[in-house]
Amino acid sequence: MKIVVCVKQVAVLGDEVEFTDDARDVDPDYLDFALNEWDSNATEEALRIREQLGGEGDEVVVVSVGDTQVEDAMRRCLAMGADRGVRVDFARSADPITVARLLAPVVRHESPDLVFCGVQSSDAVQAATGTALAELLGLPRVAVVTRIEWDPSAGRATVQRELEGGLLDVTEVDTPALLTIQTGINQPRYATLRAIKQAEEKQIDVVSPDEPGDPAYRVRRMFVPPKGEGAQILDGGPADIARRIREIVAEQLK
Amino acid sequence: MARDPKYDILFEPIRLGPKTMKNRFYQIPHCNGFGSEKPLSQAYFRALKAEGGYGACCTEYCSISPESDDTHRVSARLWDDDDVKNLSVMCDMLHEHGALAAAELWYGGPHAPCMESRCVPRGPSQIPSDFEHLTYPKEMDKDDIREVQQLYVDAAKRAREAGFDIVYVYGSHSYLPQQFLTPYYNRRTDEYGGSFENRARFWRETIEQVREAVGDDTAIAVRMSTDMFMGDAGTQLERDCLPFVELVDEIVDVWDINVSGISEWGEDATPSRFYPSGRMLPWQEAVKKVSKKPVLGVGRFTSPDLMVEAINGGKLDIIATCRPSISDPWLPRKIDEGRLDDIRECIGCNICISRWEIGGPPLICTQNATAGEEYRRGWHPEKFETAENADNDVLVVGAGPAGMECAMILGKRGMRRVHLVDANDDMGGIMRWIPQLPGLGEWARVVNYRKIQIDKLPNVELIPGTTLDANGVKEYGAEIVVIATGAYWATDGLNGCTHDTIPGADASQPWCVTPEQIMRDGKDVPGSSVVIVDNDGYFMGVSLAEKLASEGKKVTLMTHLGQIAPYMHFTLEAPNQHRKLHKLGVDIVTYHMPSRIQQGSVTATHVYDEEAHEESWEADAVVLVTQRRSDEALYRELKDRVGFDALNAEGITGCYRIGDCEAPRLIADCIFSGHRLAREIDSENPEVPKPFIRERRVIERELAVA
Repeated sequence: MKIVVCVKQVAVLGDEVEFTDDARDVDPDYLDFALNEWDSNATEEALRIREQLGGEGDEVVVVSVGDTQVEDAMRRCLAMGADRGVRVDFARSADPITVARLLAPVVRHESPDLVFCGVQSSDAVQAATGTALAELLGLPRVAVVTRIEWDPSAGRATVQRELEGGLLDVTEVDTPALLTIQTGINQPRYATLRAIKQAEEKQIDVVSPDEPGDPAYRVRRMFVPPKGEGAQILDGGPADIARRIREIVAEQLK
Repeated sequence: MARDPKYDILFEPIRLGPKTMKNRFYQIPHCNGFGSEKPLSQAYFRALKAEGGYGACCTEYCSISPESDDTHRVSARLWDDDDVKNLSVMCDMLHEHGALAAAELWYGGPHAPCMESRCVPRGPSQIPSDFEHLTYPKEMDKDDIREVQQLYVDAAKRAREAGFDIVYVYGSHSYLPQQFLTPYYNRRTDEYGGSFENRARFWRETIEQVREAVGDDTAIAVRMSTDMFMGDAGTQLERDCLPFVELVDEIVDVWDINVSGISEWGEDATPSRFYPSGRMLPWQEAVKKVSKKPVLGVGRFTSPDLMVEAINGGKLDIIATCRPSISDPWLPRKIDEGRLDDIRECIGCNICISRWEIGGPPLICTQNATAGEEYRRGWHPEKFETAENADNDVLVVGAGPAGMECAMILGKRGMRRVHLVDANDDMGGIMRWIPQLPGLGEWARVVNYRKIQIDKLPNVELIPGTTLDANGVKEYGAEIVVIATGAYWATDGLNGCTHDTIPGADASQPWCVTPEQIMRDGKDVPGSSVVIVDNDGYFMGVSLAEKLASEGKKVTLMTHLGQIAPYMHFTLEAPNQHRKLHKLGVDIVTYHMPSRIQQGSVTATHVYDEEAHEESWEADAVVLVTQRRSDEALYRELKDRVGFDALNAEGITGCYRIGDCEAPRLIADCIFSGHRLAREIDSENPEVPKPFIRERRVIERELAVA
């Protein structure tokens, strides 16, 4: 059994923010970095499945895209109990489609039974990488998963996923499959100091990326939104307010 | 970060007569236990506040003569040239940081017991002190008045010689000048008693003489209590104080305005239990309306927004702080640098004041473990040396006050990794529930401050919801282990009175409860009548009495002591707590110790009754506030079962315990304990505190060789 967990080191904003000189990104001096919360849950879920169903030689492999700094986030997963890591050496702030293209050959090479991604990352919040990766790998994909019952011998999993408005959907999926994992599926374990030290010795392979092709988008400019003119408070009954809103909208559309 | 412009007004200079203060932050006179006899402790303590941005710092009350000797308590003294030398160190250090130095010239009258000097104090009338038992003054005749005024003049000259920029003619807290102004103390029928003009005469003349002596280049401050809350007998704002301000405003450079007398000065140094910040603003504003001079005053201000509001609202010109400056000597600087979430806010517990009331030990602070340790231990609250063993990982078990402080300071000392492990889902320990006792909400600042700091430290991580046994600790992977598992209230009535359990006491019964069972576990206190057995003597018993009585129960508070919560006299909380319990109808039984407890009743005897007559009190429930016991199970398991040799073999070089886990103590002492260990984690033997400098006279002589 092998489960690949795709993880991201996310940026965390401090109190103050400055942009880089080309105004296309946040100056990294103003950022802290952390393991994406969703990916922490995904790692925990993979570890639990291995503990329940796995045996000798079964593996949880964490894969990430980025420079050497992202290994801090990968080491946290290794300290939780993941077995080894593979890092695709690439600039940190790639778009999700590019990231999926970079991940795909590594994941394909690992040939896992399950692939987990977090639903989304807390910094970019695009929720696109997992779905794009499933498409590139030709795997079935289930998004926003909150429970997994997997029967490896049958090659089939029953998964529960979260829909809007508190609804839940239970569905079956053939494995190998790619699941995007929602927070709340579990409470990730804390690593002891010993596990953190041991994780420093675990293997992280670095692979040079294939040509990822054109990015899906380019950031042209980052800026702090200009302050608006201030809110206008409308008084009166519902009919008065509705009429006034219609007038304002009409004025703005001119 | 830069200062928020809305706080700019706090940093505007202001003139005090011949002197200019660089900003609006003023450390009010307050005691620290150092006086003139521990001059370096004194100087380092005050200078840290100047370094932290205070524009002026004062001595504590500063005696002008041996006949105003407050021993057993510790005041500063300007009795002779040697005192001048000693206090000049403080002045020099303040000046180095651009702060003004102020001396609060003090003559206590009947309140000064003169236990060291054995002099006789002089007072307006021969009435014994309402604050210090068995202390009578000599009633002053005209010669005495001239002589005491000369004592002020001589002391003011010495103050200027020492380098002080501001001298006080101090009246507040019922000291001599205010005694003359106040009918309660002044029963004279000559021209120094009776009418307002007569009662004001001594203070007015004294200010005139001090001004004449030093006023050219030294600012004259007058500190006055504007309400003693004693009706006609006490000083009153409209009748006495506002006319006095008008009378002498011309010759005063700055007014320092507060309320209360000395015997209930908790109305001035208000515990957070009873009063919020800024409680004296109405009185300060009233003075400001009639005075043309700057007005300063305290109000336990920790929020810069409230400070700005007080100035912009025309209530104060200068923000004076006492306790907030002890809790955070860098308060002004942190506001200036836009670091509001780094401010260590005073919690208003008054543990600092308790040390003065006890009579002399150096002050302590719950929030700031370094208070009073600036010189003697060389501790700076904002500066930390990287530990020599900073390449070690530390496991701290228990995230109560001691554990939080220890982990935070270890983090600031640059330890590689610090894991703060706690069984609960968040940090705080006992401080998660103690602030939920009536009136103690501000005490939660103990947790909030540390939580914010720990969150900023990348090398410190809280590991919640995790219980470790000895094996778990052994295998955790730390090189240094700190056990901070706290204490619990005895469930069997073990106590410091009988040194035994109380027959029948058993908190596993539904009708018998301990404080944490009520507050933390939500255990029901059944029935309508409850007896609280309090052998502890501080805030726990009375707080639970207030809580349960407020919930409608018939509460009996029983103690073997002569009064309930005697320690709360030292924290100035006692008078209002007594009023509260009285109003709530709590039945207070002193000098009684239970001999038997059972469902339905508590049987007790008077502690001085040789025949031990028993009396019974109805009790649907019994609350045991008898004593605490260290929760040392984990430490004992590590030391006795696993053994430190086995820990060594796992790479653990040190295993220490701190706080209540070692011995139950004040919250301030728990925090000190955690701080101390972290400061000395790289010493030869961190378990044993390093010696501190004792300021004392040492006889120069050869020691005989053994």
